[in-house]
Amino acid sequence: MPTFTHPALLWGLLIAGVPVLIHLINMFRHRRVAWAAMEFLLVSQRRNRTWVLLKQLLLLLMRMVAVAAVVLMLAQPRLPTQWGRYLDSRRVHHIILLDDSYSMTDRHGGVSAFERAKAAAQRIGLEASNSPRTQSFTLIRFSEATDTARGKADLLDETVAGDFSKRLSDRLKDLSASETAAGPLPALEAVDGWLGDNPGEQRIVYLLTDFRTRHWNEPADLLPVLERLTRSRTALRLVQCVDRYQPNAAISSLEVGKSIRAAGVPFFLDVAVSNHSDSPLDDVVVQIEADGHARPALRIPRVPARQTVRDRVSLQFGSSGEYVVKAELDSDAVAVDNRRRAVIDVPGDLPVLLIDGDMDAVDATYLSSALRPGGTVATGLAPQIEKVRYLSQNPLHSFPVIFLLDVERLEDSAIKTLEEYVAGGGGLGVFLGPRCSSSFFNENLYRGGEGFFPVPLVGQETLFVDRLEKAPDLEVTDHPIFRVFAGQRNSFLSTVSVSRYFATVDPLPESIASSVGVIARLRNGAPLVVERPFGKGRVVAFLTTAGPEWNNWARGNPSYVVTVLELLAYLGRAGETTESKLVGDDLEIDFDAAAFSPQVRWLPPTGHDLKPATSEGVLQDDGSFLARFAKAPISGIYRAELSGKSGDRRTRHVAVNVDPAEGNLDLVDGPTLAARLEGLDYQYEAVDAFRYEEHEAAGTELTDILLCVLLALLVVEQLFAYWVSDHPPRTAAAGGAS
Amino acid sequence: MMPDSKRFLHPDAIKRISRLDVRARQIVEGFLAGMHRSPYFGQSVEFLQHREYAAGDDPRYVDWKVWAKQDRLYVKQFEEDTNLRCTMLVDVSASMRYGTGPLSKFEYGATLAASLAYLILRQQDAVGCVAFDDRARSVVPQRTRRNHLDSILRSLDVSAPKGKTDVYPILHKVAETYPARGMMVLVSDLLVPREPLFRGLQLLRNRGHDIMIFHVMDDDELDFPFEGVTRFEGLEGDGELSCNPRALRRGYLAALGEYLEEVRRGCVRLGTDYALLRTSRPLDAALAAYLSNRLGMHHRN
Repeated sequence: MPTFTHPALLWGLLIAGVPVLIHLINMFRHRRVAWAAMEFLLVSQRRNRTWVLLKQLLLLLMRMVAVAAVVLMLAQPRLPTQWGRYLDSRRVHHIILLDDSYSMTDRHGGVSAFERAKAAAQRIGLEASNSPRTQSFTLIRFSEATDTARGKADLLDETVAGDFSKRLSDRLKDLSASETAAGPLPALEAVDGWLGDNPGEQRIVYLLTDFRTRHWNEPADLLPVLERLTRSRTALRLVQCVDRYQPNAAISSLEVGKSIRAAGVPFFLDVAVSNHSDSPLDDVVVQIEADGHARPALRIPRVPARQTVRDRVSLQFGSSGEYVVKAELDSDAVAVDNRRRAVIDVPGDLPVLLIDGDMDAVDATYLSSALRPGGTVATGLAPQIEKVRYLSQNPLHSFPVIFLLDVERLEDSAIKTLEEYVAGGGGLGVFLGPRCSSSFFNENLYRGGEGFFPVPLVGQETLFVDRLEKAPDLEVTDHPIFRVFAGQRNSFLSTVSVSRYFATVDPLPESIASSVGVIARLRNGAPLVVERPFGKGRVVAFLTTAGPEWNNWARGNPSYVVTVLELLAYLGRAGETTESKLVGDDLEIDFDAAAFSPQVRWLPPTGHDLKPATSEGVLQDDGSFLARFAKAPISGIYRAELSGKSGDRRTRHVAVNVDPAEGNLDLVDGPTLAARLEGLDYQYEAVDAFRYEEHEAAGTELTDILLCVLLALLVVEQLFAYWVSDHPPRTAAAGGAS
Repeated sequence: MMPDSKRFLHPDAIKRISRLDVRARQIVEGFLAGMHRSPYFGQSVEFLQHREYAAGDDPRYVDWKVWAKQDRLYVKQFEEDTNLRCTMLVDVSASMRYGTGPLSKFEYGATLAASLAYLILRQQDAVGCVAFDDRARSVVPQRTRRNHLDSILRSLDVSAPKGKTDVYPILHKVAETYPARGMMVLVSDLLVPREPLFRGLQLLRNRGHDIMIFHVMDDDELDFPFEGVTRFEGLEGDGELSCNPRALRRGYLAALGEYLEEVRRGCVRLGTDYALLRTSRPLDAALAAYLSNRLGMHHRN
């Protein structure tokens, strides 16, 4: 028996009785004619009664069959496979596109969406293997489709025969959801790219995915591919593998803040928690683990709905080296985005170069004391006091920050070296003093705005003491250097007293006014601290001394130490954040070609079936090797083992995390999807209700055949009706006057 | 386009003229005005007028005396003597009530009879009239007076069609009533049994009458153009039938054809003149048929 896609419509077969009804109604609605020539009419009726009755019955039957054909066509009948295979010899090709992004680990009722998708794929395979028609099977995971190699398909155009169902079951058993954020686009493109066009087969593409808003709310990139597929007569079945939305939270960022990292120096670790649900999360606890040891947890009072909250924890490592830190949330719908890892490189000491123009280096001594107070206080800084000539005789790239203190004069080569250093990203702090000459600074270091010095100088000025004036000498702005003092009413800054300073041209020349920032002024309005970016780096100039000669700041005022350290963090490369890698990214490390051999042994995160891999470092222009690990498959800490030429071994670490955007579990429902995919011919169904039945594809579609039958029937009916009705000819049958 | 003179011969125009005598005059005068040569001048002793000779005139009628005086050819025209006694037999049965065009079969037949009577009277012949259904409804004797037309018209005008045609007794009675030889003009739809009809006609022929039959039928009866389920009810009580007329059309037309053929053959066999008239057609066909018959009578007589 044929089966029907919409069996409920078969009730419409009752409409086939309508022609009989119309006939009966017409019988009652006859008109009356008073007729003279009854004799001939009765003769005709007597002669034709049987034949007329037969013709009318035939006509009625044809009309009933035509109505029934329309109803059957709407119900979409299919012939059973046994019959259909004689009519449709095309091969059926099932193409399963399996979403294995980590949002498919969304569990409900103890079963993840990925498990449901696998079960659906298994059902399709089982039905296909029971079919007597020729069938083939392709299985492509989203995460694997990003690779252009055809061999990455789990099954590619494999003929369904023999124990296929068991082989498929074994293959599916090995599959688990990846930690990627892969979308459907590469998989859809792979259908064309890997399988090409084959008009000799009937293709059905099954998209087993979770239809998150991230990919499907604005599917402008997907539409052209989907349209191309449906145009090529490929049946498209979209199977929703998630039956309801579940709230989810994720650690969306874990990185070191802009502070100096050094052994023994506390620094901040910034943690961002994103709430992807419609209700706020209260009292969120983030477990922190550093170097394998649990640290005090971070407690965030509230994360509002659909928002991300950032907070920070203080960390400190006693010695230099690479440390792994991990932040973890309590479990929720998706586990993999509740963890995030970072590798922090803690240097032993950070060298800071102090160039003092004074032979006694008084200013440098004060500054050095602030940078490295000694005793039990560790700043992680190693100040190095040098004379002016050091600049032209030594490389500077190893110093994150250089200070110039009361420098009278610099050689041209030193000026050039410094300019290259700052333009290359270095930080330069300048303190002036009695030895400085405004003409030298203006002509050589400022050079009309061409040089690195931020402002043109006028000359030394005295800030007269006004005992009636209660305002502090120093007025600071909201700048990272002084932000630590913000909101403190009686900060130590108010006790700073400045007696002499260098005045600047006021107002500043228009050519530099927009690029120069005044960070602090004296109470008379004269700029005291100015800054200006230069190339990739920046220069901050204090227009007074670093030592106590022109002010009392360095003499026992705690704010001096704080300001100097903040200045260092602001200027220095120490503020650069570590780069974060995502699952699927290529991992790269560079290392000294002189100290290590080029072979690197990569050890993936433990607890998985991933095997160690070896890669060869490629020599770079700067004399280092660059080694690469392609496409990190999972999140975790990857270790790269380097072999030293002297026989020692060294291990570097790279943290790989999941893409936090995939953790947003918002779903696109059926009606919304229909609106987004308007004009596209597809079938959307829930995975639990989804059932592939052989007759749907392998059975022969009878709709087209019925349409042809209907058209033929209508033509025959019209001709027959014309014949039966005996239409009169245009000319009179009998003649006129004879 | 129809000639102006024939304008009044068309049923649509006739319908607009309510008085039957006016109708008859209009029709006949209109019909005669359309003829090139006046047909109703015959040979007689009573001279009427001269007319200039035209090609085709019989040289016997050339007045040679006038030619001798004026050197022109004139022909003599005479008023013809009455030698025709004509009787109109007009069917006024219920079946004649049927009509879908401007005129019903009865109206058409009555108009035809009136027109012929006018024409006959104008030719100085005698005309009478019998209106009948199952019996003779009115009988007007044969007269030649011009005002006799009024009597004939009155007999037609008052005769609303009713009853069932029973033709043999009527024809038998007519044969008895008009023993002198003459012309019988039968105007009917002939929806009667053929055997009594032919028997009646045979009787008239045996008495020496010349018979002319005007068979009047409606377009619907000849073409049967009905559609949709229809209930036909016999006008003369001969049953009723509900049917799809399209389905029966072919059989109807076949039966009708057989009937017409039988009538035509019967008429030929009896030596009667026969003309089938559609009520939608102009009346000149009927008049022409009559005149042709009249000329034929001269030759026969």
